[in-house]
Amino acid sequence: MSTPAPRLPAKPIDRYKWFFTAGVVGITLWSALGLEAKWSRLLDAPSDMWTLGRVMFTNMEAADFPDLIRAMWESVAIAWVGTLIASVFAIPMSFLAAENLVGRPIAWVTRQVLNLLRAIPEVILALVFIPVFGLSPMAGVMAIGIGSIGSLGKLFYEIIEGIKDEPIEASEAVGASRLQRLRWGVLPQVTPELASLILYRFEVNIRASAVLGVVGAGGIGGDLQQALLFKDFGTAGLGLIIIVIGTIAVDTVSGAVRRRIVAGPTGGGGGSSLRPTGRLPIFSRRWATGVDTITTVAESPSPH
Amino acid sequence: MSAPGTTDPDAATSGRPAPELPPKPGPSWFAIGGTIGAIVMTVITARSVGFSFSDVWSNLSRQNSVIEGALSPDWSQIWSERSRSAFIETLQLAVLGTVVGATLALPLALWTTKFGNPNRFLRTIVRSFNNVIRSIPDLLWALIFVTAVGIGALSGLLALIFFSLAVTTKLTSDILDGIDMGPVEAANASGAGLNQMLRTAVVPQILPSYASFVLYNFELNLRASAVLGLVGAGGIGARIEFFRGRGQWEELWGLVFMFFLVVLIVERISVSLRRRLV
Repeated sequence: MSTPAPRLPAKPIDRYKWFFTAGVVGITLWSALGLEAKWSRLLDAPSDMWTLGRVMFTNMEAADFPDLIRAMWESVAIAWVGTLIASVFAIPMSFLAAENLVGRPIAWVTRQVLNLLRAIPEVILALVFIPVFGLSPMAGVMAIGIGSIGSLGKLFYEIIEGIKDEPIEASEAVGASRLQRLRWGVLPQVTPELASLILYRFEVNIRASAVLGVVGAGGIGGDLQQALLFKDFGTAGLGLIIIVIGTIAVDTVSGAVRRRIVAGPTGGGGGSSLRPTGRLPIFSRRWATGVDTITTVAESPSPH
Repeated sequence: MSAPGTTDPDAATSGRPAPELPPKPGPSWFAIGGTIGAIVMTVITARSVGFSFSDVWSNLSRQNSVIEGALSPDWSQIWSERSRSAFIETLQLAVLGTVVGATLALPLALWTTKFGNPNRFLRTIVRSFNNVIRSIPDLLWALIFVTAVGIGALSGLLALIFFSLAVTTKLTSDILDGIDMGPVEAANASGAGLNQMLRTAVVPQILPSYASFVLYNFELNLRASAVLGLVGAGGIGARIEFFRGRGQWEELWGLVFMFFLVVLIVERISVSLRRRLV
């Protein structure tokens, strides 16, 4: 009765996988063959980079330091004010985009508006705000402000959709109006998460505001571009170092504050009951710790 | 050792008619400090960027050609030969940048983990490298490469490669923190080398997430490649910059809106692909 060795079933062929791979390879080949780049320069690129790096980091002068620090601070300021402006618009919009607070049609329309806003890069916005506000940091502030509404709104409504219904039902049961329900049923549940997301967006926006100067919208990007344009490599090198250190420093401080906001004073269970349960497993862990983020893997956010 | 019930403090209180409510706790020092800090930060930063509501309002309500151009965009740009080839160049840049950058990101992410890179010193170096490249934004990469390699699509490609490298490495190493260590132990126990272990025990676990990050990265790159041209790194940005320089806002908006339509379509496709993957 004993069969010697059970035959293994044939390994299933995953058609989807093959189709996917073939598509990727095909598109890559099309791009590689079609792109008119000076490929001959590619071989020189490492030595070019080495040369640039050498002239940038060996000619630095301490005299540039105060100006560059001031410019970096301007970038930070642009990011902060811009993020606040974005939050002012994003919070009410996210209430209108949460399916558990408003009906499906309203939520759908609001989400499309958010998607549209998310698609526009900040630099393009800065480009169009410069003729309106002049070559000033305000153009950068408005670019960051308008450009972040989409992604902040999306992060916000995902949090709002994960809240518990009971407090809303309870406030409804005691006769709260729509606004009162928002104030007592929704806001207390989401405030820590919202505050933390605003800080997170601030970190992302520092990267954005550091480059806005390239088109003339204020901040350290302008100094860097001018320096490279006029072959003032030492200044450019120092500027680059200040950007890297400044960004990492703000990330570190802001990250620590965010962890404290979400975790609560005990550093553990306190705030965890506020976390959305189940809905966004990858999300809640990542944005609390990471710099680049992706919300749910299925839906696409834009941290940039 | 006393009998349960008789010394239970709950039993004593249960007889009380109305328990006194504990006093409402005041806001924590952290909350107070945080609020004050945020307000101070806002006041200082608003002053240093010269923010004023009346300026914003007067500037936005003033008639200007930019907003007028946005209301009547010139769609004929799509059919112009130059804009179309710039469009295609942007797509090709995004594809190549993603493929090369994301491929390089996989080993780099594996080297940030304890099991993938047992040498503590090397691990620190890889992690610091990742932190540094992540703090440089896309347009800055383009600026650097344009200076080093020269104006053209090659600089844009190199910029996107480094940008993708930073994003995908970060996302992938976050996923690597949470993998199931069982297969890793099994592979090690059966005598697998480092590469064999990574290939059979780690990569299969993260492959779906990794693939979805790559697609996500592609969406980012598509958006980023629109602005690379502003500093001379190829793609549609050069056309945008051209129209801006001549103040042709209708044409600029036609081009920009068209590009966003493409971005939105690509994003829809990419999102549905990613949903299948995970």
